[in-house]
Amino acid sequence: MELKTFRGGIHPPYQKEATAHKATEDLSLPAEVVIPMQQHVGAPNSPTVNVGDRVDAGQKIGSSEAFISAPVHASVSGTVKAIEGRPNFTGAQVQSVVIQVDPSQPPGWAEKRDTGSLGAEQIRDAAKEAGIVGLGGAAFPTFVKLSPPAGKPIDTVIINGCECEPFLTCDHRLMLERTEDLVSGLKLMMVAVGADKGIIGVEANKMDAADAVTAKLSGESSVEVVPLEVKYPEGAEKMLIDAVTGRRVPPGKLPSEVGVLVQNVQTAVALYDAASTGKPVIERVITVTGQGIKEPKNLLVKVGTPIGHVISQCGGFAGTPGKVIMGGPMTGWAQKDLSAAVVKGTSGILVLSKDEVDYGAERQCVGCDKCIDVCPVFLMPNFIVKHTKRGQYGKANVYGAQDCFECGCCAYVCPSRISHVAYVRKAKAEIAAAEKK
Amino acid sequence: MANHDLVVTAPPHIKGKDMVSTGMRDVAIALFPLVVMSLVFFRLYALVNIVAAVATAMACEYVVRKLMGREPTLGDFSAVVTGLLLALVLPPTVPFWWVMIGVIIAVALVKELMGGLGVNLFNPALFGFVSLIIISRLFGPIKLGYSLGGINGVTSATPLTFIKGGALNGLRPGYWNLFLAHSGGALGEVSVIAVLLGAAYLLYKGHITWHIPTSIIATVFILSAILGANPLFMILAGGVMLGSFFMATDWVTSPDTRLAQVIYGVLIGVLIVVIRLYAAPTGAVAYSILIGNALTPLLNRLLVRKKFGEVKAVA
Repeated sequence: MELKTFRGGIHPPYQKEATAHKATEDLSLPAEVVIPMQQHVGAPNSPTVNVGDRVDAGQKIGSSEAFISAPVHASVSGTVKAIEGRPNFTGAQVQSVVIQVDPSQPPGWAEKRDTGSLGAEQIRDAAKEAGIVGLGGAAFPTFVKLSPPAGKPIDTVIINGCECEPFLTCDHRLMLERTEDLVSGLKLMMVAVGADKGIIGVEANKMDAADAVTAKLSGESSVEVVPLEVKYPEGAEKMLIDAVTGRRVPPGKLPSEVGVLVQNVQTAVALYDAASTGKPVIERVITVTGQGIKEPKNLLVKVGTPIGHVISQCGGFAGTPGKVIMGGPMTGWAQKDLSAAVVKGTSGILVLSKDEVDYGAERQCVGCDKCIDVCPVFLMPNFIVKHTKRGQYGKANVYGAQDCFECGCCAYVCPSRISHVAYVRKAKAEIAAAEKK
Repeated sequence: MANHDLVVTAPPHIKGKDMVSTGMRDVAIALFPLVVMSLVFFRLYALVNIVAAVATAMACEYVVRKLMGREPTLGDFSAVVTGLLLALVLPPTVPFWWVMIGVIIAVALVKELMGGLGVNLFNPALFGFVSLIIISRLFGPIKLGYSLGGINGVTSATPLTFIKGGALNGLRPGYWNLFLAHSGGALGEVSVIAVLLGAAYLLYKGHITWHIPTSIIATVFILSAILGANPLFMILAGGVMLGSFFMATDWVTSPDTRLAQVIYGVLIGVLIVVIRLYAAPTGAVAYSILIGNALTPLLNRLLVRKKFGEVKAVA
């Protein structure tokens, strides 16, 4: 059978074997957690607690009046030790609440209630109260996406079960381990936006997950599993919509333009948790893997857990680490030390060895056009780089600087080892700065 | 935990296997069948010229970069490819010092002085070749060998002579000879099948695509037929095959979008036919591709790719 897919893209080595078949484990609690007041796209929160306060797991500790924002909650019970700027995974200083973790923690969450009778408004409220954001990594507040603009009806909700980033397996594990909750979460989303069709797109290298979900759907016609070609970035929002429905979201537009809402697997599970028990996003499943990690694992980790603690609980480094990456190898953030904390959008921690990060020096573009061939949104990455180097940001934008979603396919295939994504970010920043003036 | 000397760079954090050096190396590998065929036919003549060309190209690149204070780039194989290609577009009777002059023009002038591989506007090997044609015409006594028709029976005139010379048509080599092997013209003209073998390898490796070669060859074929020339002979004889697959597809000097590549190919095809039929058959492919090279920046500017999901603005 010909699998559905999009045009362009790459086939990097997937390297998921180390963790794909390992059940998710609970990570032990760290001594302290660092909870940034901003873990999402949108307005930052203000702390609602003070230094010295006792907080309980699940208690809201930061909120904002802004529409596009998502509150944050204490991920553990403990005492607020400090409220100060801490570098987050991007290296930016972000106001954070530091909590000294209590040795004894509350047992769990309220009884599950039936979510079948919940209405759209209740579901959106649950998502907002729980601080749910896109847990695939985009971290856009979910309740905003669940509030489609007037005049743009949504007929299809797609769950992104592609997990097209190499190495990562947390979504794979969730599809296997929380299959029923995933389907329930999808149904809640369909109710929230009034869609009558739900689709779970799964790359064909996870057919066990696809089969597990299909088994839970017996007799339902509104929800279906669609196997997709194994290709990066199959799970990118626009690519996934194209692959599954054949609809193409125009440049600069949102999926609602073509009547679609896309959410990540973990986001759907989190929505079910929030709607059924009121549990906010205080923990998530991440994949800790790579040649530089002694014991690769899938872990359920409290938000705010420092990377160093996670790594030490996976047997530590194997050999000298070359790069420690928050997220996947294609779009993740390289860390300069191990102090940053796991946040809602963290999908994994990847440790590459020294020789894996010896890429060779960047050299002049030779015009091989490979970047153009692989670009899934049909841009001309070599020309974006050329004009950005010359400071011609307007011209860089003609070739698509602002339409680039930084999947990194171009830089992956580049025989000249050009770091297109770095240039695109520079061009975007310069264009934004010029627009402000 | 102790702090490590961690590398911090922008994503992606993994990279594909292809490097400029692997691409150029594959081009050299793809030329191998043709090199072997030329050695079989022209023996020492071919060997001397090929060795002189490749050695000069490497030495020249090294020295020029050294003088300009640049890092050596011999490891990227581009000098090897330039040397090979230039040796292959010349007839075996060309003295090796002529080959060396051509190579020096190609590597020093066209490539390094323009800023190095990637910045050069023209295909170095072809520019070197055309320079030699022009120099040989300017300085009459030194002949390139094309007009001599060969020495000591080692080679015969390039079959291209037959395109115009109706009287000589009885001596014209047959299609199968052109396709498989024959001893006319330049080293690279000895065997179309050897060119195609190498081209298949480059296509398989993904270093070139069908767009440019197919549009050139199809254009030459169709336009020749329209203008009353023998279309099959036009594509099989001379440098059309070598030029289409190995030179017009040059990463640096060809346009970057598929549409631009097809237009570029058609343009080169038209030029080849017009120059061959109405001007001089010798060097027609080289001139055509170089003119195409000159138009590449314009094509790249005019033909910006349509973005994903982009719809024509309603006027």
